[in-house]
Amino acid sequence: MTVATTKRLLSPADLQGMREELLARESPSAKCVRVCIGTGCVAKGSRRVYELFAEATKEVGAKAEAVKCVGCHGFCERGPIVVIQPGNVFYQRVEEPDVAEIFRETVVGGRVVERLLYQDAATGAKAKTAGEIPFYKAQQRIVLAHNGEIDPTNIEDYIAVGGYSALAKALATMTPEQVLSEVERSGLRGRGGGGFPTGRKWRSCRDAHGSPKYVICNGDEGDPGAFMDRSVMEGNPHAVIEGMIIGAYAIGSSLGYLYVRNEYPLAVQHLRHAIRQARDLGLVGEDILGSGFSFDIRINRGGGAFVCGESTALMASLEGRPGEPRAKYVHTVEHGLWDKPSNLNNVETWANVPTIINRGGDWFASIGTAKSKGTKVFSLVGEVVNTGLVEVPMGMTLRRIIYDIGGGVKNGKAFKAVQTGGPSGGCIPTQFLDARVDFEELTKLGSMMGSGGMIVMSEDTCMVNIARYFTNFLRDESCGKCTPCREGLAQMLYILDHITHGEGQPGDIERLEALGELLAGTALCALGKTAANPILSTIRYFRDEYDAHIMDKRCPAKQCRGLFRYSIAVELCKACGLCRKHCPVDAIAGEKKVPHVIDQQKCTRCGMCLEKCPFNAVVKV
Amino acid sequence: MPTVTIDSYPVEVEAGATILDAANKAGIWIPTLCYHPAVSHPAICRLCMVELDRGTWKQLVTACNYPVRRDIVVSVSSEAAAGARRGVMELLLARAPESKPLQALARRIGVEKTPYPAVSKTQRDCILCGLCTAVCEEVIGRAAIGFSGRGQTRAVSAPFRQPAENCIGCGACAAVCPVGTIQLRFHEKEGEIEISPFKTRAKMLACKQCGARVASVPVVEEALRKAKIDWKKFKEITQLCAKCRRKAAASQLTDVAAMASQLGYLGGREPVASGGKSKTRPVGGRKSRAGK
Amino acid sequence: MAKDTVAKEELIDDIVRRYDADVGMLIPMMQDLQAECGYLQVDQLRRLAGRLDLPLSRLYAVATFYASFRLSPKGRHEVTLCVGTVCHLKGAGAISEMIQKEFQVEAGGTTPDGLFSFQPVNCVGACALAPVMIVDGKYYDGMGPDSVRKILRGLPMEEGAAERKARK
Repeated sequence: MTVATTKRLLSPADLQGMREELLARESPSAKCVRVCIGTGCVAKGSRRVYELFAEATKEVGAKAEAVKCVGCHGFCERGPIVVIQPGNVFYQRVEEPDVAEIFRETVVGGRVVERLLYQDAATGAKAKTAGEIPFYKAQQRIVLAHNGEIDPTNIEDYIAVGGYSALAKALATMTPEQVLSEVERSGLRGRGGGGFPTGRKWRSCRDAHGSPKYVICNGDEGDPGAFMDRSVMEGNPHAVIEGMIIGAYAIGSSLGYLYVRNEYPLAVQHLRHAIRQARDLGLVGEDILGSGFSFDIRINRGGGAFVCGESTALMASLEGRPGEPRAKYVHTVEHGLWDKPSNLNNVETWANVPTIINRGGDWFASIGTAKSKGTKVFSLVGEVVNTGLVEVPMGMTLRRIIYDIGGGVKNGKAFKAVQTGGPSGGCIPTQFLDARVDFEELTKLGSMMGSGGMIVMSEDTCMVNIARYFTNFLRDESCGKCTPCREGLAQMLYILDHITHGEGQPGDIERLEALGELLAGTALCALGKTAANPILSTIRYFRDEYDAHIMDKRCPAKQCRGLFRYSIAVELCKACGLCRKHCPVDAIAGEKKVPHVIDQQKCTRCGMCLEKCPFNAVVKV
Repeated sequence: MPTVTIDSYPVEVEAGATILDAANKAGIWIPTLCYHPAVSHPAICRLCMVELDRGTWKQLVTACNYPVRRDIVVSVSSEAAAGARRGVMELLLARAPESKPLQALARRIGVEKTPYPAVSKTQRDCILCGLCTAVCEEVIGRAAIGFSGRGQTRAVSAPFRQPAENCIGCGACAAVCPVGTIQLRFHEKEGEIEISPFKTRAKMLACKQCGARVASVPVVEEALRKAKIDWKKFKEITQLCAKCRRKAAASQLTDVAAMASQLGYLGGREPVASGGKSKTRPVGGRKSRAGK
Repeated sequence: MAKDTVAKEELIDDIVRRYDADVGMLIPMMQDLQAECGYLQVDQLRRLAGRLDLPLSRLYAVATFYASFRLSPKGRHEVTLCVGTVCHLKGAGAISEMIQKEFQVEAGGTTPDGLFSFQPVNCVGACALAPVMIVDGKYYDGMGPDSVRKILRGLPMEEGAAERKARK
């Protein structure tokens, strides 16, 4: 990754000149190997794959640029992903031994290695390019447009695809007021979970009294199961930076902060590098592109606290204090960081801004539904066939996302629910699969959009256990400042622990609902106010499971230990005696050649027999 | 000046005053625990919930820090507000089951006992209201104690649970504690005051004449450090007769009286936990934030 | 001894200078300090507090609020287990229990023989590879109790990456 020149760009014309120079250098038929180095693919060894390709390229004397590191494609389950140009040949699950073959066949020979192509499980059809894969076909990639295409550690790649042209357009041909109007017209709403109209927030900050003003990027993506922001920060950091500079121009700010959670070291690295390269070119700093507008960015890191995703807690963290939220009766756009007017937006929100400026607010507003404009990136994970990041227009149905794009539920299991909105959200059952995904619709169903996490659950998931999981999560992550959240979550967890251990009492559901209502009304921040959502939504749609646990001491999904029985399937039992040997209470009877039987009176439901049986003859009933 | 119509009773307040200020003016009592006029109000305990009528919908807000910026309508006695306060109190009682002052306050708002089991570990009925840490940081300027941990492990402590290095043994924390968790203990033999449970001790100054112990040594040193004696003014005073000296002194004392009134020492709230008159007077009174 | 103290003071000065003594950067400063020394020692925090003109209670509050800080020495290796929703659905809970029981280590603590420190975290953003475990910065995907046990039992007792860094 080399930068052709570190000469400062002093005007929009300089930027355009650089872009033209870069495009002239590249031939569309030039060979290029793009290896994904997003966290997901790295975990599966993609760095080594990259090294091997680099070595192979060097050996044939080709230039180093022929092999490129690119950011997250979003199809992490199929990693490591390698895309070969020309032809956009999409290889998945590439391992070290495959490199030599790909190089020989595809890069040099122009042929396709069939076995590494994506194959549709249902039809058996192989896809040569990403566009042919069902996972990608129905997506509309605006935020993720350049992920997987550009090297996130080389600003030239970003500029070559049009990067920073929106900034140039804004600074050279638009007033701050015009930029603001464009964003207002787009209808863009916050992508971090709040869904607050972005243009309105910018305007309030612009109108607020006080100086200096700050723009802040919330990169604290804490919802478990959500990794959209990680992929943008790692794979296209400049999109975020460019968005922030444009926002700062509209608002009248000259200093911005990027707050990245500690658990994303690669994102921090790429952002830091990106800022440095932008600064070298004069796109960050004094007198940007000769416009007279100056803006600088600093990166700050989280210390490991989910609550720091809340805006006032994030700002406390930016001030070097524990991340405790404060009351929002006075808004942060008026009194935020260091008590100054501050505009905080999520990573995905900022990443949408350059496209809105380039293509216009009206264009953005033409996508999506009446009140939810544009696209949204979701992380579709859990018991779904195709796991990964999905960017679709607002208003697509859950069914399309989970089945057409996601390929349906894994292992032929039945769909049970999809959890959206992280720990502040809820579970949506089968009867609402045709709901159109947008802010209002998901809230009406008792969940919320949240940051975009979409966790698919199958028939094997115990919904009471899910409620318990989220309550435990929130109890650990609660800052503990206010009484209802701190004490209320502990009390709700106490009840749920008892229910999932077969010690539930009649009235427990009512007690949980009362606590949920108390938290919603009295907690200090959004974490506490929405903390009971996982519980309330599962009670709403899966009350029968709660009743079974409490009244019958039974877990219908057969997940809660001790609340279901084990039985030996006669037709599968080979009478090997392993289960009998390991049973700690001698509850299994049987001899050689005689199918074994579990004595339900003696059985303590420990599960050892199922673990030990080599023939899968022990089943949960 | 905006008007707050509180339980149908209209009162005018300064813009930026809180709903609690309006309630005080109207003579309507709202229970509080973590509120104290001398320190900032983070509305931690959530006991002072009232219902704000926004026309098309109602919202529960905390009275002690909700700023009044325009005419609003507030209900203290609505079922939603009263129910919310009772719910919060029930959670507090589960957390601090032995505290007599808390139980007395609970009874006053109609909560006889709590339906919840004690599931959180607490240090001697501490309700984590933060008044002690706020007083130490903002009024005394020492920040000898602070919060540590998070969520279930949140606690008030001196750093590393060692005796606090910055503590001057003034006892302000004990004076503001609403539930009696912080106690002052006098050790006659060593001539020391101990702030329990922080294990911090300070030597008490003995009166040169009679040997009585009234203030801790670090408090006296702090007072001397902060007190600035204007020798020029002193010389001018010596030129006055007794009557005129008294007049000059009285005009200076109004400042001190205002400070003392703010701290609740002149007919306002008495410090709850120290059982009447506190044995040490807090020094200072200027709000300061240690460090930043 | 004196030389050691001087080195420690220089480290603090270095870190403070790195961030222009900006109090807002306290968390990154403490992270850098922990990266150098392996954990946060009282003396070092006292020095840092002094340099930044902050009360020690503030640094203690920050050190105990955020999960990434530790106040006691860590093991030769760093084991991080993701317990986010998807990993949980795929059995991370059972893995966590196994680690705690068989290696006698609690969440956030260190094994009795100092072999490794164990930190469960809420989601590392690699949900497609659940369950995920990270050992000394290296990611392992699709983990189960057996595969995790094998990896942890195979950890060498000699100096690991964590200690090497702390020694520098």
